[in-house]
Amino acid sequence: MATRPADVLFGRLARRSASVSPAAAGKGGAAAMLKAWLPAIVILVLMLLLPTFVPSYIQSLVTKMMIFALFGVSMNILWGFEGIPTFGHAAYFGFGGYACGILIVHGGISNFWLNLLLVIVFTALLGAGLGIPAFRVYGVGASDNPIYFLLVTLAFGELLVRVAIAARSLTGGSTGLAGIPYPDLGLPITINSFSFYFLVLLIVVVCLFLVYRLVNSHYGYALRGIHDNERRMQALGYNTWLYKYTSYIIAGAFGGIAGALFAYFGGVMVPGNMGMAMTDIVFLIVIMGSAAWYFGPVIGAVVVVGVEYLSSVYVPDRWPLIMGTIIVVVIMVIPQGIGVMLLGLWRRLVRGRSA
Amino acid sequence: MAALLEVQNLSVHFGGLAAVDDVSFAVEEGERLVLIGPNGAGKTTLFNLLTGQLKPSGGKVLFKGRDITHKPVYARTQLGMARSFQITSLFPNESVLTNALIGLQGVRAGRYRVWGAFTGDKALRQEAQKLLETIDLWDKRDETVASLAYGEQRKIEMGLSLASGPDLLMLDEPSCGLTPTESADITERIRALGRKITVLMIAHDMDLVFGVAERIILLHFGAVSAEGTPDEIRANQTVKDIYMGSHKASTAGQ
Amino acid sequence: MSTFTITTLNGVSYAFILFLLAAGFSLTFGVMGVLNLSHGALYMMGAYFGLAIVSKLDTFWLGVVVAAIGTGLVGLGIYFFFLRHLYGKVPEQAVLTIGLSYAFANVVLWIWGPFAKMGMTPSLFTGVVRVGDLAFPIYRLAIVGIGLALLVVLWWMQDKTRVGAIIRAGMDNKEMTRSLGINYGLVSTLVFLFGAALAGFAGILGAPILGAYPSMGDALLLLTLMVVVVGGTGYIQGTMLGALIIGLLDTYGKAYVPQAALFTSYVIFIVVLLVRPSGLIGRKVF
Repeated sequence: MATRPADVLFGRLARRSASVSPAAAGKGGAAAMLKAWLPAIVILVLMLLLPTFVPSYIQSLVTKMMIFALFGVSMNILWGFEGIPTFGHAAYFGFGGYACGILIVHGGISNFWLNLLLVIVFTALLGAGLGIPAFRVYGVGASDNPIYFLLVTLAFGELLVRVAIAARSLTGGSTGLAGIPYPDLGLPITINSFSFYFLVLLIVVVCLFLVYRLVNSHYGYALRGIHDNERRMQALGYNTWLYKYTSYIIAGAFGGIAGALFAYFGGVMVPGNMGMAMTDIVFLIVIMGSAAWYFGPVIGAVVVVGVEYLSSVYVPDRWPLIMGTIIVVVIMVIPQGIGVMLLGLWRRLVRGRSA
Repeated sequence: MAALLEVQNLSVHFGGLAAVDDVSFAVEEGERLVLIGPNGAGKTTLFNLLTGQLKPSGGKVLFKGRDITHKPVYARTQLGMARSFQITSLFPNESVLTNALIGLQGVRAGRYRVWGAFTGDKALRQEAQKLLETIDLWDKRDETVASLAYGEQRKIEMGLSLASGPDLLMLDEPSCGLTPTESADITERIRALGRKITVLMIAHDMDLVFGVAERIILLHFGAVSAEGTPDEIRANQTVKDIYMGSHKASTAGQ
Repeated sequence: MSTFTITTLNGVSYAFILFLLAAGFSLTFGVMGVLNLSHGALYMMGAYFGLAIVSKLDTFWLGVVVAAIGTGLVGLGIYFFFLRHLYGKVPEQAVLTIGLSYAFANVVLWIWGPFAKMGMTPSLFTGVVRVGDLAFPIYRLAIVGIGLALLVVLWWMQDKTRVGAIIRAGMDNKEMTRSLGINYGLVSTLVFLFGAALAGFAGILGAPILGAYPSMGDALLLLTLMVVVVGGTGYIQGTMLGALIIGLLDTYGKAYVPQAALFTSYVIFIVVLLVRPSGLIGRKVF
């Protein structure tokens, strides 16, 4: 695997914020923690105020960006942190969306919370099922032979696309499942485009927080160890298969949550949402934003969703061509992603100011 | 009393070639056993069989009386085996401290914890400090391992193998690539390990071999060629032949 | 019973199309360790290039030649401009070639529109051969014939020629092969070109029976992956076996149990993965 310079940066960031966590509390713990998280807090406040100062189509766009940010971050658990080249992550995204839609349209389960819980359960079950054959072809330290796992997960995604096309009565076939309404929270609030934004913001922020804690936990560092040197991890006593398998399920579950939000967002799920093109999009999001930085995929989602929107306005029907071109450019010219660059810029700014 | 490690008729074949050929020996608790042999004799392959990285074609491995022949690698570490690698095998993109933390966590409870910050684990950090101070690398704890000198990396290599608190420590060429001073340092560190740890070592450097060994086994073409105390081995004609590369030795194995 | 024979012929001819596709993929993937996921798109482009010639110039065989050469050149371009610089970075190769495949499909869509094209069978192979009650389409028999011929040639090359030996050696140990003075780079490039051309050839050959539409690349890539996993890499026999299994199962499924048509191949795929990950006749990787 290529070295990940930003990981050192990130490592320091994590250690700093971790060392001022309540667990290692010391003097000025709360103040120092505030300082480390200030950028995130500022952004969060801006996000809360956003709908008041932008037109509704921008708000809608940002909603989509948040959904794809979660999608990207969930995939990056496996790719950036654990080094697992999962080429079927869209399968969980799309499956989550379909599960959500089918539960409402065919199952009558319109309560948002119950629906979300079931989506998580079903997506996790899918991951548990597919993970067994998938990791059969992983080997130890897949940097040596990632091809098979990559191909197999890709095949699983495409397989699910064919299943969705075939199971017409359930999924609406190739035209897709339509008529997914905005969520019903079971509270005296009706969700519309405006309030949906805040619901997505809430869910995505909570999920990003949970995943952040996960990748910085004991479990998360084991994943990182597997990325760097799986053979050594085994020699040190770690059951690496178990970590890979459980992380695959967890990442899939978070991807499914993003998928469910996506279903509500667009009101429609098509088979392609589970397939190769969507997996390629999430890879683009992660690679462009920097796989080495936790928040990289967030940046990547903003850029990719933004460009997709622009292309739909100016050159409709040419998005796949544009996407393909961007992918080629990013991989050939900025393979480490722009997130790392931005992070470096930021730190220089901060250091410059305090110097 | 049963030996800590018992190897019975262990073999592994690649195609038609026996890389390890009907090897049997035992390691007693507290013993220092050194494996020597020319390049390609199968020493590292034997280690791989013992640790579970490679599956044998035949034979058995018993550890603490239990048959571990088919146990996965991580399970053997959990039982009290640990190894170091001939080619340094660390976590190059992480800091020295993180390497130590990861190394220590492997056999300890809490390695599946998904909530608390790993680097904030005070108890683990204290143990890491102890470990790194033992190898004089606590001052460099925030440096990335990839940026360290080779000799320092080899010290971490050995440090990681001790991190799991093993009963059997298997060292594969611990002084590989080290300067004479560094080698002497490693030799001292191995000698300083208490009797609670049993040492099985592969080595080429004769100062290291005779500095540590209580018993020596010579491996040649994957089979045990000679076995005995350091004095016996020093006097052994087969050993001399193999290491002097005499004509007799190269035909003897065929 | 008679429909069974016809269905079997359909299945076998389909299997040979898959074989051609998978052989090309297996070569680039097995030989060079390079993952070209635009392989399905190359198939699609072969069909379109070929059909463009056929409709303009009314000659099938020139279409075949143009299809093969055209996709060969596209493949060469992909290798030369992109894959060559991504040596060893397999996930990046995958992402890039997938992106390319969607770009290509979109360009084809742009030029030729979204509607499927049906290829006409060349006059030489039009019509049926009657044996008793049964009518076997000559074109399908021709595909089987051509496929068999190629299978024999490739098998012979694999086992009996120096090129085959070099390729097999390279699969096992690239460094050693290079150090023996063999210009493995040139071999790799030619192999890649050949693999891509095979995909295009399969595309135009299959056009009269499978048609052509811009998004067909995905479905065929999936089938190719399944053939390669089921059959294994490294041996042309494995690819043939995998293609026969997937092709026949798919065809029988469609003919006899339409609802479960997709599932038969997929079940085999997953079973082989669980039980023999290296494939039925593949070099032992796992």
